[in-house]
Amino acid sequence: MAVCVAIVNRSNAPKYIACVNPDMELEFHYKVHTSLDVIEERLTSTGKSNTERQEFYLGILYSTEEHTIYGYVTNTRTKIMIITDTSNKLLRDNEVRAMFRKLHSAYSHILCNPFYVPGDDIKSKYFEQVAKSVMVGG
Amino acid sequence: MTQALADEILLDLIHAEIVAYANGSPSDGEEKKDTDYSKIELMGFSCGYRIIERSTKDGARFKDELDTMKFICTELWAAIYKKPIDNLRTNYQGTYLLQDNSFRFLNKMSNGSQYLESAGKYVVFTCGLLRGALSNLGINAIVSMEINTMPVVKFHIQVSQPQN
Amino acid sequence: MARQGNKLDSKKVNSEMFTLTYGALVSQLMKDYDNVEDVNKQLDRMGYNIGIRLIEDFLARTQSTRCQDFKETAEKIQLGFRIYLGISPNISNWSASGDEFSLIFETNPMLEFVELPDNCTNLKYCNVLTGVLRGACEMIQLDITSKFIQDQLKGDNVTELRVKFIKTIQDAIPAGED
Repeated sequence: MAVCVAIVNRSNAPKYIACVNPDMELEFHYKVHTSLDVIEERLTSTGKSNTERQEFYLGILYSTEEHTIYGYVTNTRTKIMIITDTSNKLLRDNEVRAMFRKLHSAYSHILCNPFYVPGDDIKSKYFEQVAKSVMVGG
Repeated sequence: MTQALADEILLDLIHAEIVAYANGSPSDGEEKKDTDYSKIELMGFSCGYRIIERSTKDGARFKDELDTMKFICTELWAAIYKKPIDNLRTNYQGTYLLQDNSFRFLNKMSNGSQYLESAGKYVVFTCGLLRGALSNLGINAIVSMEINTMPVVKFHIQVSQPQN
Repeated sequence: MARQGNKLDSKKVNSEMFTLTYGALVSQLMKDYDNVEDVNKQLDRMGYNIGIRLIEDFLARTQSTRCQDFKETAEKIQLGFRIYLGISPNISNWSASGDEFSLIFETNPMLEFVELPDNCTNLKYCNVLTGVLRGACEMIQLDITSKFIQDQLKGDNVTELRVKFIKTIQDAIPAGED
C-alpha cells in the first residue's frame, strides 16, 4: 500500500529508505528530507507546553497531487515515514497507523540485535521483510 | 522467602557471570586484575539503549524530562527489578536521586559490611542501563551510585544537557 | 502521575533483558578476543558456572529424583528448557547404543533478535548452553559433552545440539573450575 518507507534517526540522518520502484529512490530521498522540517515544526509547536503525552502518529505531513507523506515519531525521536500514492483513496487512517506500528515494532526488534551498532544504516533482512510487507500488503 | 520465578534466575546468573568476567582476566593464565567497571557499565548501557525503544513502543511520547524519569522509575524499573524505585527526588534542574531500598542484584547477598566494598560491581551494570536508556531518549547524563547499607542503593543522575 | 496505557509485562521484559544481556556479553567477547574459537570456549566456560548453580534451582523446583537412564536425563534436560526458556526442543536421533541424542530447536528466545554479521561465521552464538548442560549434569554425577551441529543463524532449518553421555562420575565431589 505504501510506495516508500523511511527511518530517520534523532539527528535527522536517514538510516533506511526503501521504495517499490527503485527509480524513484532519489525523489523520495528529497521528499523525506523536506518532511523532516514539517516534523520538527509539529514537535516544537506542541513541544514545551504539553500537559499530556502526545501520540507517536503525526498524521499527514504534507500531500502533493502525486504523493502523500505520513509521519510518526517515537520516544527516542526516531522518525518513521510512509509515502503513499495520493490517488489511493482506499487507504484508511487506521491502516496507516497499523503500518507504522508494524515498522516501529520491527525497528525496536532490529535495535536489539547485539551485532547492530546503533546509528549504523539498517541492513537487516528481518527489517527488509517487514518493510516489503508494508509496501505490498499494507 | 519464596522461590524466584524461573524467568528471573537466568538474568541473575548471566549478570553474575558478567561481573565475574570483568573481575577476572580476559584470557586464561594472566594474573587477576582489578574489576573492569567500565566494561560492565558499557554492557549495561547497550542493554538500556536497546530495551528502552521496545518498552516505550506501546505508549505515547513523554511530556518532558521529569515525565521520562518517572516512567523509568516506575514502569521500567518495576518490570526489570521487580519493584518500583522507592524514592525519586529532583531539584528540577537536572539532578535526580533514585533510591531502591532492596536492590535486586544485592538482596541475595548478606547484609554484612564486609560485602559493602564489593557491592559496587553488582550495581554498575544498572548505572549503565540507566545511562543507556536515557541516552536513547535524548537525555545525556552522568549516573553514579551510592551504597551505604546493603541492599540499599542510591543512583545519582546528573543531566548534562537540557533535552533537545 | 501520568501513566502509559499499557503496563509493561514484567515476565516479557525480564526475558528480553536476559536475551539482551547475553547479546551484550557475546558482542563484548567478540571485541575482547581475537579468535572466535576462544569466544566459543569462554561462553562454554561461563555456561558451566551457570549450570552448576542452575541445577540446584532445577532440583528444588521439580523435586526430581535420580534418573534411571540417559533417556530420562534427556527428558529432564528438555524440561529444563521448558522451565527456563519456555521452549521444548525435540529429542531425536538417538544413537544405537543409547548414549547420544540430539535436541532440535525450532525457536529459541536467545536468538530472537540476532542476525549474525558476515565476520562471525565461526561463532557458536548459543555455546553457553553446552556449558550449562555440562555443569548441571556434572553436579548430578554425569559426565556429558555436547556440541552444536546445526545452527539457524547460519541458515540451517533448525538448531541441533548433540548431547553425548561419557560416564557416571564415581567420586561424589565435583571438580571445581575457574
